[in-house]
Amino acid sequence: MTRGARVAIWFVWLVLIAAVGWGVARHLQISSDLRDFVPPARTADQKLLLDEIGKGPGSRLLLLAISGAPQDRLAALSRGLQDALSHDPAFAQVANGGNDLAEIASNLLPYRYLLSSTLDTHRLDAAYLHAQLQQRVEDLSSPAASMLEPWLKRDPTLETLKLAQSWAPARQPKLVDGVWFSDRGEALLVAETRAAGFDPGAQAAAIASLQKHFASLPGAAQAKLVISGPGWFGVEASRNTRAEADRFGAITTIGFVLMLLLAYRSTVPIVVTALPLLSGAVVGFALLALIFGHAHGITVAFGFTLLGVAQEYPLRVFSHRRIGVATSQCVRELWPLLATAIVSVCIAYLAFFASGVAGLQQLAVFTIGGLIVAGVCTRWLLPLIVPPTRRDMAATPGLAQAWHFLAHLPRPRWLPWLAAVAGVLVVAFAPGQFWQNDLSALTPIPKAELQRDARLRAELGAPDVRYLLVLRAPTVEDVLALSERIAPRMHRLVAIDAVDGFELPSRFLPSAATQKARQATLPNAAQLQAALRQAMEGLPFRAGVFAPFVADVEAARELPPLTPEKFERSPLGARLESMLVRQGDGWVGLGTLSGVNDPAAFDALTQATGGMVHLLDLKASTESLVMAYRHRILIALGVAALLLCIAVTLALRSARRALHVLGPMTLATLLVLVVLRACGIPLSLFHLVSLTLAAGLGLHYALFFERRTGDAREDLRTLHATLVCVASALLVFGVLALSSVPVLRAIGLTVALGVAFHFTLSVLMAPAEHLRGGP
Amino acid sequence: MRSSRICSRCTLRDALIAFALAASCGAFAVEPSLAESLLSGMARTPPVSTSFVQVSYRGVLDRPLVVSGTLRWLGGDRMQRDIDKPFKETAKIGDGELSVQRGSGDVHRMPLARAPQAGAMLAGFRALLGGDVSALQQDFTLSAQGGTAHWVITLAPRTSQLKRQLASIVIDGRAHEPRCLTVTDANGDSSITLVGAMAEAGLRSAAPLESALAARCRNSQ
Repeated sequence: MTRGARVAIWFVWLVLIAAVGWGVARHLQISSDLRDFVPPARTADQKLLLDEIGKGPGSRLLLLAISGAPQDRLAALSRGLQDALSHDPAFAQVANGGNDLAEIASNLLPYRYLLSSTLDTHRLDAAYLHAQLQQRVEDLSSPAASMLEPWLKRDPTLETLKLAQSWAPARQPKLVDGVWFSDRGEALLVAETRAAGFDPGAQAAAIASLQKHFASLPGAAQAKLVISGPGWFGVEASRNTRAEADRFGAITTIGFVLMLLLAYRSTVPIVVTALPLLSGAVVGFALLALIFGHAHGITVAFGFTLLGVAQEYPLRVFSHRRIGVATSQCVRELWPLLATAIVSVCIAYLAFFASGVAGLQQLAVFTIGGLIVAGVCTRWLLPLIVPPTRRDMAATPGLAQAWHFLAHLPRPRWLPWLAAVAGVLVVAFAPGQFWQNDLSALTPIPKAELQRDARLRAELGAPDVRYLLVLRAPTVEDVLALSERIAPRMHRLVAIDAVDGFELPSRFLPSAATQKARQATLPNAAQLQAALRQAMEGLPFRAGVFAPFVADVEAARELPPLTPEKFERSPLGARLESMLVRQGDGWVGLGTLSGVNDPAAFDALTQATGGMVHLLDLKASTESLVMAYRHRILIALGVAALLLCIAVTLALRSARRALHVLGPMTLATLLVLVVLRACGIPLSLFHLVSLTLAAGLGLHYALFFERRTGDAREDLRTLHATLVCVASALLVFGVLALSSVPVLRAIGLTVALGVAFHFTLSVLMAPAEHLRGGP
Repeated sequence: MRSSRICSRCTLRDALIAFALAASCGAFAVEPSLAESLLSGMARTPPVSTSFVQVSYRGVLDRPLVVSGTLRWLGGDRMQRDIDKPFKETAKIGDGELSVQRGSGDVHRMPLARAPQAGAMLAGFRALLGGDVSALQQDFTLSAQGGTAHWVITLAPRTSQLKRQLASIVIDGRAHEPRCLTVTDANGDSSITLVGAMAEAGLRSAAPLESALAARCRNSQ
């Protein structure tokens, strides 16, 4: 084939990859919905967690602190930011202490006698009205008079203000210049995003918008805005991870290019080695788009990691080319072994498909599809664009000596068995936690930020992110009634310091029954007129001035009780909406708690309500889900290992040969576990996926070393290929192991260790007579 | 909302009461030709205090409300009004907040910042006591008339926001002593606050007519 034709095919291939990639990028939704990636919830709490993860009232809050400017500037910035965010659709509500709850309450003005608790303890009779009107007379002389005056004729008992006060947070920071300030002199705000707390994309957009609003405020340049809360942490973590991955990616790309130049003394491998892998990736994405319509972010990350095996295919081809022999011929010779490796791994990954977890099924489709396409591209497309070689890799200086060195290493037959037994003992009995259940440990938040979050949370009385009070009942009305019933008990828990504060759904909306009971105590117009006449005796109010009040009470007598749907349309509606959740046939009320000091104290509450109310520990529930999820992965991996053994045995048509391939793989995997355990590193899902990738690479090393060619030069080429593959894997993952981000470090360390062990053991455990028979 | 906008008026009223009391505590020469010259001599050193009697005429009431007590300017944007009769009440303005405590009851707080113009007026008040007339003139048109025997400074709101709540503020005084502060709301309600010697002289009737009290402020014997 001419050079022009090769370049043309190369170019068309590249364009095809770009076109498919572009098309897929337009259609494939990358979701961050964790529900895709966990097994079906078994307990009601897990179910609630999955439904509510990140949607819960606490997890959508961003805590904001503005500092670094004089107090009046900070207050102005706080007001400016509050105003900007309250017009931003990304935010459900923003509070800075200056919010006018009375205004919100006025929207619900007709319902005030049904919502306020006044009528639970008082009647609108002459005695109560007289006491109230007496106070209003005094109010009219106070500096606040002008604030009350417009309400007076309609609302002489100030129900609207009482409602507003009852909705104000129980614990508030001090007000300076009308806005919240911390003890350290920062202006404080709380913003509630509409997006779920663990939807990193939407949170990032909301935070970017928030920062833009802040930056555009006059004088913002001199002040400092600090953001905290679950959404911020998520965004920070993914930004740090991405930044570090990009940085390391750049380093390893340069290193990889230099290594290819050094290994092949040609620029051709540099421009073509990535093509099979990229083709596999875009086809994998296309399959995901066709079959699932969307892919989970974790699938994509894990999938890319696992697909890394395919990088070896073209490298093998380059190492095995011979002078005067067409590349296609070399590929044809290699193909049986490559195909064995590909098919074995694909069969193994089928186990993921059978796992029943959507995210793992996506992972299976992506990797199986990707690996097959990468293999097919290597077999049939790559030879078309690679020019004939002028160099035999077997002649690489030093390669023969390396072979000689490796072939004459001592190989005691008992060593693998001893290593295996010792390894099992270490893995089983090393002290320390075996599994890492805490997902957040993988994307840890710097200690200083955590402390700041705790401080701001305490100052703002913001709800705890870890605990929720769960109220279960058949209907919304029942939930609200239950919420009213437990409120006194909750106050007692606050009194004994078990919890610092709480917020129940009934605080915003009483049950219909309570509303009706209050309604029933409202006097009719004639009764109220008479009571008012009596109440006004001796007071300076003009006769008839309270006619609007009489009319309002009369109207309130006929109102249907305020429903959650109607309340949710009010400005405070978002608060209530996030506290009432439909689940299955029933309803769940979510009470937020701040400062849970004694979780065990809630047991009595659970018992007293017959289990209808209980404390939900989100951390414990998440961990139970992670455990269930890991259980599925472990089963899938176990089945995968079994399928791999069968596939390799069938492909090699010999149990003994299969043992030579599978033995080093198994032992190397065990040794990686030994190192991790000995270092006291608890295993996470990322370790498991990394072990799987390393095993896939190890399979290649073992298969190729086990191969009997009877040709010394071909064996040297095998060694060359394997060395290049090992070096590139060590380069990529060894650099990653230096990362400060635990996820990247987990992947890097595990794969790098794995590659080292797999390579060493593949060499040491290869049939000795075969190696020594070499050059 | 409406109520909060009107809330600023109380700040204003108190600011001007304080202004009046500050004026009453110091000596200043009356220059009837110019309000500016009256005001520019107003810089005072806090704290200053005076007794006061406030008579409020409200549409919802059929007779005036009378309260009396002490007004204090504590410096900066802090001031305090203590009512002694007919009930006990302490009202404080400071840090952009108004707090009111009646008797030994709960302290009710409300931010002045809910009405943005409150801040502007507080600034005006501080400018006034600091002798900075130009700041006051941002919000009000000042005019003055009369002579040493009786002078009147009238503050008419300039901004439409202020005009929606406030018709005028009139300060009556004689020689170096302000005597009455009359605040008229946009809805026609008004209050007359007697300060200094006028307050100490007390009212001649339990429920003085507005016109009679206004006349007394003008014809100060």
